[in-house]
Amino acid sequence: MNRTILLIEDKPTLSDTLKSLLELYQYTVIVAANGAEGVQQARLNHPDLVISDIYMPVLNGYDMLEQFKQDVTLCNIPVIMLTAKTEIEEIDMALQKGADGYVTKPFVFKNLHAIIKKFIH
Amino acid sequence: MKPQQSIIMPYDLLIGTLPCPVVVQQHPQSQVIYANEAAKALFKQLINTKREVLLSDIKIILHDICQTEGNGTTFETRQPIPGKNTHLWLEVTTTTVMQGKDQYNVFTIIDISARKTKELSMIQSLEKEKSLHEMKSNFISMASHEFKTPLTAISSTIDLLETKLQMDNLLNPFYQHNISKISSEIFKLNTMLDEILTLSTIVSNNIEIKKQAVDVEQVIADIKYQYFSERKDDRVLNVQVSGAPRKIYADKNQLSKIFTNLVGNAFKYSTDNPVLKLQFLKNKLVIRVMDKGVGIPPQDIPYLFNSFYRGSNVDGIEGTGLGLSIVKDFVERNNGTILVESEENKGTSFTIVFKYPPEITAQA
Repeated sequence: MNRTILLIEDKPTLSDTLKSLLELYQYTVIVAANGAEGVQQARLNHPDLVISDIYMPVLNGYDMLEQFKQDVTLCNIPVIMLTAKTEIEEIDMALQKGADGYVTKPFVFKNLHAIIKKFIH
Repeated sequence: MKPQQSIIMPYDLLIGTLPCPVVVQQHPQSQVIYANEAAKALFKQLINTKREVLLSDIKIILHDICQTEGNGTTFETRQPIPGKNTHLWLEVTTTTVMQGKDQYNVFTIIDISARKTKELSMIQSLEKEKSLHEMKSNFISMASHEFKTPLTAISSTIDLLETKLQMDNLLNPFYQHNISKISSEIFKLNTMLDEILTLSTIVSNNIEIKKQAVDVEQVIADIKYQYFSERKDDRVLNVQVSGAPRKIYADKNQLSKIFTNLVGNAFKYSTDNPVLKLQFLKNKLVIRVMDKGVGIPPQDIPYLFNSFYRGSNVDGIEGTGLGLSIVKDFVERNNGTILVESEENKGTSFTIVFKYPPEITAQA
């Protein structure tokens, strides 16, 4: 059975490419354009893993993580953050809010995939 | 010789000819009993009249001017001129004089309009410059950040093409070689953006330093995971630790940039596995980043930490020449020292020393 990944990213160019890449590796991919939509989709589809951007309209990645961690049905889903910032504080903040891993933009897909595989086999 | 006798000058002759306006007011009735010629001329300007100024006119204006009364009080006031769309800036000093039981307030007034106009124009220029400066820094920060989104989209698209070609058994050496070239250029551009952003914050003095007790081993583990793992050439960073680990007092983010840069250089200018040694000594932490690479020619070493300076033997290896100047700046901002030892074609070693702060030395 295919594993489901919820991809939360507001830039369609990037989300389209990442979706295609993940699908090549046989993952089922659901896309959301911001944190609020991401929380909604997660409640509906219960993905095996979430990959999320940080800076997004409506609800940013940090606030989305808080909502995930407060929801008993979502709190155990691993979340990998994609961040354009390389400041350690930004990364620390994501980990403090409950992120399980992070990748800084731009990234090599191989590295992202290695992290995905740590959480879903 | 007979000593010269002091001459008593008439009161009105002395004060009356002073170029500085002086007004004397009786206390507490507020009656103006004296104004010298300079004061009359000033108040004529303030009333905007062609007739002679009376002491009663001065009393009315003085009432407006006197926001503060008291012995030795000096204040600045902006007085609009009626009928004219202009004003005068005045500096007023009040002094209390007692004569028997009678009390008088003496007002010395200086027209500071010219000075004030210059001052205000300087403040405006400074504010304008500050705002332009902020705009410039924000623009560089925003531009560097925004460039990363298309860069990520390009690098992911390249990954997608490579994966699809590989899965369809179409990834021949020609495609592989050129895809790697695009990918490598994307990451070089990304490094350049990060360096330009860091240098612009240093140059504009906008850099914030947030010192805290930092676990250096953890910072190194983080940068190793973030930047130097899963390398295409399978090389790894070899980290060696000796002594009892202690925290140092430094800016975590700047430390991370220092190590990322030095380790990045060690990978770039050598073909073996770079070594990062952490030696926790009694009073200081010594960090060495070593490689067995191309080395630095002796004539380049004195200029190595200058911005945009690059070694004479690195033609064909990309770089901005900004990295080491940023490293030196950050080491010094964190009260550390940096040394370089190098031999051409044998390798390079950078040594950074951070002393423990007294409280951490004592606790250890």
